[in-house]
Amino acid sequence: MVVGEIPVLADLVVVGAGPGGYAAALRGAQLGRDVVLIDRDGHHGVGGTCLTVGCIPSKALIETANHFEHAKNMAHTGLSFVGAAVDMGVWQQWKGTVVDGLTGGIRHLLRTAGVSVITGHAQLSRLDQLVVTDPIRPLALAQYFQFNDLVLATGSRPAELPGLARDGISVLNSTDVLALDHLPERIAVIGAGYIGLELGTALAKLGANVTIVEYGPRVLPTMDAMFARAIDRRLSQLGINVLLDTAAVRFDNHVLHLSTGDTTSQIEAEIVVVAVGRIPNTDQLGLDAAGITVDERGLVCVGADRRATRHITAIGDIVSGPALAHKATAEAAVAVEALCGHPAAFAPTTVPAVVFCDPEIASAGVTVDQARAAGRDVGAVMIPMGASGRAATMDARDGFLQLVWELDSQTVIGVHIAGAHASELIAEAVLAIEMAATLEDVAGSIHAHPTLSEQLGEAAHLALDRPVHVPNHVRR
Amino acid sequence: MAEFDFPMPDVGEGLSEAEIVEWVVAVGEHVEEDHPVVVVQTDKAVVDIPAPTSGRLVAQAARVGEIIQIGSNLFRFDAAGAVPDLGGHGHGSRVTAAALTEPALVTAEPSLKSAPKPKASPATRKRALDLGLVLGDVTGTGPGGRITAADVEAATGVRAQSASTVRIAPTRSTATVPTHVRPPAGDDRVEPLRGIRRQIARSMTESWRTIPHVTELREMDATELVRAHLTLRKHLAEHDVKLTLLPLFVAASAVALREHPTFNASLDYDNELITYRARCNIGIAMSTDEGLVVPVIHDADQLSIEEIARRIDELAAAARSRTLTLEQLGGGTFTISNYGSYGTWMGTPIIRQPEAAIVGFGRAKDAVVAHQGQAVVRSILPIAVSADHRLNDGHHLGAFVSTIERYLTDPVLLLAGRRSPGGS
Repeated sequence: MVVGEIPVLADLVVVGAGPGGYAAALRGAQLGRDVVLIDRDGHHGVGGTCLTVGCIPSKALIETANHFEHAKNMAHTGLSFVGAAVDMGVWQQWKGTVVDGLTGGIRHLLRTAGVSVITGHAQLSRLDQLVVTDPIRPLALAQYFQFNDLVLATGSRPAELPGLARDGISVLNSTDVLALDHLPERIAVIGAGYIGLELGTALAKLGANVTIVEYGPRVLPTMDAMFARAIDRRLSQLGINVLLDTAAVRFDNHVLHLSTGDTTSQIEAEIVVVAVGRIPNTDQLGLDAAGITVDERGLVCVGADRRATRHITAIGDIVSGPALAHKATAEAAVAVEALCGHPAAFAPTTVPAVVFCDPEIASAGVTVDQARAAGRDVGAVMIPMGASGRAATMDARDGFLQLVWELDSQTVIGVHIAGAHASELIAEAVLAIEMAATLEDVAGSIHAHPTLSEQLGEAAHLALDRPVHVPNHVRR
Repeated sequence: MAEFDFPMPDVGEGLSEAEIVEWVVAVGEHVEEDHPVVVVQTDKAVVDIPAPTSGRLVAQAARVGEIIQIGSNLFRFDAAGAVPDLGGHGHGSRVTAAALTEPALVTAEPSLKSAPKPKASPATRKRALDLGLVLGDVTGTGPGGRITAADVEAATGVRAQSASTVRIAPTRSTATVPTHVRPPAGDDRVEPLRGIRRQIARSMTESWRTIPHVTELREMDATELVRAHLTLRKHLAEHDVKLTLLPLFVAASAVALREHPTFNASLDYDNELITYRARCNIGIAMSTDEGLVVPVIHDADQLSIEEIARRIDELAAAARSRTLTLEQLGGGTFTISNYGSYGTWMGTPIIRQPEAAIVGFGRAKDAVVAHQGQAVVRSILPIAVSADHRLNDGHHLGAFVSTIERYLTDPVLLLAGRRSPGGS
């Protein structure tokens, strides 16, 4: 045995410092475990994709883009700006401050909780050991950790398209886009899923000429069609060219070659942004050494307590379910509690989804189609957000709110919103669904006026056949 | 085509977990409805889990040797047709079954799930989880059938005022924190505690920790028994039955149990209830290559010696081929350990919960003893009976052993058939 193979004994090891991993580390420390947190980027990786190159930076970009777009289009309300401009260099500095502030806060939490943060690429070498290598210095001695319990939270990375391999210069992924310090003139975005749509919309608002290329028949192809209908009009208003049923074939000399059915076409673009989904980081984890298998999508199979083996759990983007930060964070507590011998199961009624396009989209619980496919008898009402007094004063009348309930029990089982601040409004709906609230519960909760949230109360009243603001409503 | 997660079904007998023995179907393979997908082993038996409908196995949620809780995800399945109603497949837990129902992935947009779940607030669900309760089995009394915290408490029988004193042990309480473990060193070999060995370890630990055992040891004069056995063996050989002493032990134990109902009973200490068993179902401890199993001769008091002998042969054959059914393994009210068959003289048998007593028979051998004032050679049979001291005192145990002794020293009495409980 060489010296390097003498393992360091570790109690609870967490691999990956994203929103799943750091939450797991902190929960483990709370429960009295000695925690080692290993991340490829060490302290710089704290926060993971979400904080450093995902959710948070993209929301900063969207926020700036929204303000800029409003500044140009509020003249009819009496407000106009002269010389409104976007400086991407300054934006990068501001974004950096935001990200550093948040990740610094988490580093502080980890430090005060006594969590050791290790830099390196971790790979299972057997059922109870990890070998950690330094990706920067591959010749440095590997470190071995023998653990009692392990949480795998390695997340996902942007998927690539054949023929459109990322070069970081003209073919970019979402991470690269958020690092741009200038705004390209013409941008093609491949993929109209939530990432492509959010980035494409923001870039267009900032002034770029944006084309979104989608292989499927509509934007947001995996979500209910009502959402696509709600944003289509706005996309064309913003001058975004949306090409549906179209495949991106290759990109050279600033020309993107496309194919639609039997026909081919070309568009010019300074850069191409590939946003065609994410793939789980399970391929370099050495899972075989621990006898852990992944399914055909590369996802680790886990039980409700997130265990893949008795002492190894997996959470976040590397297990089934939506690849969303808040899901990973919720799973982190379950996994660590299970490893500490507490009864634990990841069993939410809903994991809400939010998309920061224009208008914002937020969805919790089941849609009418999903419920009917599952053989459930449901009722649904949809009311326009434009009917809200607050929406009118915000000059943000686009969108709708749909409420879905189970007919026999009158329980709220789905709320789907397109509209300003939908991402905030969905919280009330999530609580209602998790609490198994009935229509009467929601209708009987007084919603402050004038707020957008009144629309959920109004939807519940409409569902109960006693709406205030629907003209000539006839009781069904 | 529709993907769904298939939870580990409740295979009955109040079991809470099962061990994966073998995956019959590989990931990606097609399987027809009702054909086995995976073989699991419970504390009682090996059970095939069939495909709920025709389709393709997308993922296995546990590996061979893993222990999986009833209701937690067992595999993911892609149904060729419609997703079947899992409620109709004897699925206890909709809590965890629904947790993974979405096919949504990393590569896809977030999508939402549609399977109905028990209606309960997160706090109520957490309480149910802590109590080891399957929420799908609880009837909700709240608005729209919502399960309230009170419903959960009522379902577990735990009242709010006594919650601080009543502790419900988690399923694997004994396993999570090993008390004395020395790490392996040198050429030591480590293997996981699995299969029947794991079940034996668990049930022995639970019995030893729970039941205050009292054991009586006695040597009996089995000369007449041995003589009767020889006569019967010759007679039954003509009916193709190879008679050992064991059927006679079973018959004697059965009649003794009829006369001493406190030995054919169960104590529910938490609820302070004693159940006297109407049936006399005698388990026979049998060793197999994997370990001890205890198949049961149901209604042993109603059977002739020949019927008992035939029943034992059937159970022994099934035990060897590991084809014992849950029914053959369940329902025991008393147990016999025939450790004399491998040469043991005396033992201190451990009671099988929830039974009240167990008898062990040692090897009969000739000995010089005083008999009617003379030193003579007689056949001596050692027996040991362990009883739950909470249910029976020393003199009850002595009386029970004396009854067994009376029938074994004078086996002609067995011809009288069973006596009514309480008879002399």
